[in-house]
Amino acid sequence: MPQNDTVQDLGLDEYKYDFVADTKPVFRAEKGLTEEVVRQISAHKEEPEWMLEYRLKAFEVYNSKPMPKWGGDLDSLEAVLDEIYFYVRPQEQMERSWDDVPDEIKETFEKLGIPEAERKVLAGVGAQYESEMVYHSLREEWAAQGVIFDSIEDGLKNHPELFREHFGTIIPMRDNKFAAMNAAVWSGGSFVYVPKGVSLDTPLQAYFRVNQERMGQFERTLIIIEEGAQAHYIEGCTAPVYSTESFHSGVIEIVVKKNARFRYTTIQNWSNNMYNLVTQRSIVHEGATMEWLDGNLGSKLTMKYPSCYLVGEGAHGEIMSIAYSGDGQHQDTGGKVVHMAPYTTSSITSKSISKGNGRSTYRGLCKVHKGAHHARSNVECDALLINDTSRTDTYPYIEIEEDDAHVGHEASVSKIGEEQLFYLESRGIAKDEAMAMIVRGFIEPIAKQLPLEYAVELNRLIEMEMEGSVG
Amino acid sequence: MAGVTTAFNPAAVERIGMGQPQWLRDRRAHAWDVYERTPMPTIRLEEWRYTNLKKKLDLDSLRLSDNSVFSSDATTWPDRLRAAMDEDREASGHIVIIDGRVVHTDVDEGLAAQGVILESLHEAVTNHEELVREHLATRAVPAEEGKFAALNAALWIDGIFLYVPKGVQLERPVRVTRWLSEAGVAYFCRVLIVAESQSQVSYVDEVLSDDLESQTYTSTAVELIARDGAQVQYVAVQRLGRGAFYQSVQRTLAERDATLDTLNVALGASVTRVDLNARLLGPGANSDMLGLYFGDGDQHFDFNTSQDHVAENTSSNLLYKGALDGNSRAAFRGIIRVLPGAQGTDAYQTNRNLLLSPGSRADSLPNLEIEADDVKCSHGATVGQLDSEAKFYLMSRGLNRIQAERLVVLGFLGEVLAKLPLGGVVEKVTRVIEHKLAQQA
Repeated sequence: MPQNDTVQDLGLDEYKYDFVADTKPVFRAEKGLTEEVVRQISAHKEEPEWMLEYRLKAFEVYNSKPMPKWGGDLDSLEAVLDEIYFYVRPQEQMERSWDDVPDEIKETFEKLGIPEAERKVLAGVGAQYESEMVYHSLREEWAAQGVIFDSIEDGLKNHPELFREHFGTIIPMRDNKFAAMNAAVWSGGSFVYVPKGVSLDTPLQAYFRVNQERMGQFERTLIIIEEGAQAHYIEGCTAPVYSTESFHSGVIEIVVKKNARFRYTTIQNWSNNMYNLVTQRSIVHEGATMEWLDGNLGSKLTMKYPSCYLVGEGAHGEIMSIAYSGDGQHQDTGGKVVHMAPYTTSSITSKSISKGNGRSTYRGLCKVHKGAHHARSNVECDALLINDTSRTDTYPYIEIEEDDAHVGHEASVSKIGEEQLFYLESRGIAKDEAMAMIVRGFIEPIAKQLPLEYAVELNRLIEMEMEGSVG
Repeated sequence: MAGVTTAFNPAAVERIGMGQPQWLRDRRAHAWDVYERTPMPTIRLEEWRYTNLKKKLDLDSLRLSDNSVFSSDATTWPDRLRAAMDEDREASGHIVIIDGRVVHTDVDEGLAAQGVILESLHEAVTNHEELVREHLATRAVPAEEGKFAALNAALWIDGIFLYVPKGVQLERPVRVTRWLSEAGVAYFCRVLIVAESQSQVSYVDEVLSDDLESQTYTSTAVELIARDGAQVQYVAVQRLGRGAFYQSVQRTLAERDATLDTLNVALGASVTRVDLNARLLGPGANSDMLGLYFGDGDQHFDFNTSQDHVAENTSSNLLYKGALDGNSRAAFRGIIRVLPGAQGTDAYQTNRNLLLSPGSRADSLPNLEIEADDVKCSHGATVGQLDSEAKFYLMSRGLNRIQAERLVVLGFLGEVLAKLPLGGVVEKVTRVIEHKLAQQA
């Protein structure tokens, strides 16, 4: 496998996912987004007519909506999008066994440790390469209990009614410009169904890999957790570093039914040339719990605000968000909780670290609708600034229409304490190491919620990033 | 043309400027130009997200105030105006403004001898032309500040000019009392305070009216300048009647080691909109920003604040608290901006709301934008209901429910007043709140 030497010259070699596989796609659409591309995607997937119509409608909506004026800098995005390949089909069909996946692709996922993790700790794995899921598998014992864990395309093919009942209802195409774009060109992603009362004791994982330059990835995921069921879904993402920009825009729709419990973990570690604009939303019914654990470490610009719509009495939503912004990065992340029923509770905890000229933004909404009495919500944001060129912003929206509710928001910004550093150094710890130690302590409350391998990964990343950061 | 009404137009700007120096007429014409070029804010703008001007303000229905029928003879003044003045007479000087025009000014002779200037802005344009020319609508609230700052700069008729020379300290506050009597009128007023280095001054501005049968608009542009080491306290108490649309655009400029504190109390009016921008321009500058609001009926409050830390080692501390009853609604949008290089900044921002009734609503947006690393910044916002434990405790001590609730609300709002070292103002505001609470029962 060829190493990308120029990238190492730039001194970005701490990004260990920067390798390119020499794969030849079986089909690649022309670059840019046109109606023709939308039709090609639909044709390749042999979709029912209604889905093609849905895509074409969404394409219209996308064109009618202006580029957002808030959030990160999207000024140059339009030009970037003209150069992007919106659909790249890496192989003819999705495989159920790693043995059938072409060697070059399989090797990539082996490097990322996916098959190994699957054997050890996962209930099921999905792997997406460019625009399509190349591998999807679920352990027999869960399949026997009626759990469905499949590519989104197979969800549409094999469970058309269930699919149609929920698809596009949680995040309608008109929700925002990029949700419309995704609705037009979606490809890949997971379809998850956990039947009533079934509790998965190990996580499902989907891994998203972009390999080619100027690639656009548009995964679409639909997750339905039936009454009293429990599950945990993890998504990871990486890409090689290119000098040109790539683009990722996913839409994740989740329904958590009565008394069910679901956790969605994201470890976003895209390379620093990726625009990552994602819409993630869950509908949480009576007595149910939804947890988002959102780790944003990579990408050039991420705009992502996982949300919980608490529609049933006693529903609970939780968002734990951790963001790291190094040089050239802007993480514009946060979360939304919307209380629409009585006795609903929620909490948002956000921690961010900005280093070099990196910028971390917390943007969140806590809304209590009229009638959602006894709603409780608490939002806490902490930001750590490493250098004098780092930047952090906090934009929490609090909108309360119900008098019988309690909502609190707190945020603090600080730099690494001189006293803490001094203490550690007085104990013989080198400054770099002391910095890393303090940062680890800062993110610990969230990091300890991460699956073990990701927590280890995060700690390693921070250690590497802190090297030479003491000015 | 946008914003041109039968009352607001270039001819009115020209007429108001008649007899005034050319530089001022030019400034008015320029402001009108900015006003016309600036689109009317809509709720699509972040700053106006919670106040829909289309529904709340009808500029077309307003006329400019005619010549006031009131004279300098205090016996002709409305009883409530005189009562408000009598509530607290401790002062270094007074100004009374009725229907947009200054009708009375007095200032302690000793202070006047030391060079303290307190006079009608209209007269100061002639008497202290150079000072006014230097500061009026230039650095603090220029027309470019926004649509309404521009409208004010074009159409202001009178206002207050207060100048405190270097090292002069006023022991007692300057008191301004303003009264509006005419409904359907737009009043444009300006406050310009310049405190030279090491001087010290407190200023209390109270505006009142009865209920007004049609929409009445009052716009005040407040420019506060504290030079090196000066200490300025600004207090605005708004007790207008229903029908009033109260708008105030305030900017404070604190230079090296200056202290520039503000308190905005909003109790009356149908709509209150305050834009307050505190700029910490010199190292060591400090601003405490306090706010207090208490709404009932369909009152609407909208506070838009910003704390701009431009220089090193500056501090600001904002606390806005409000209680909302009936169908009243409050929005708070605040932002702390720490500019690159403003190391050693300490900045805090807290907004707390008490919802007393099912129809009340509060929106809060405490924002931070931090571009320096050696800072201590935090903010917090809460929206909640009356502390039931505190209420229960008071009732267990023999108070009835209404008394207990009143006391808890008073205690909640009292935290803001407790930070103000102006006894007279604290008593006055407490009395008005008590009065308002008594009306709830």
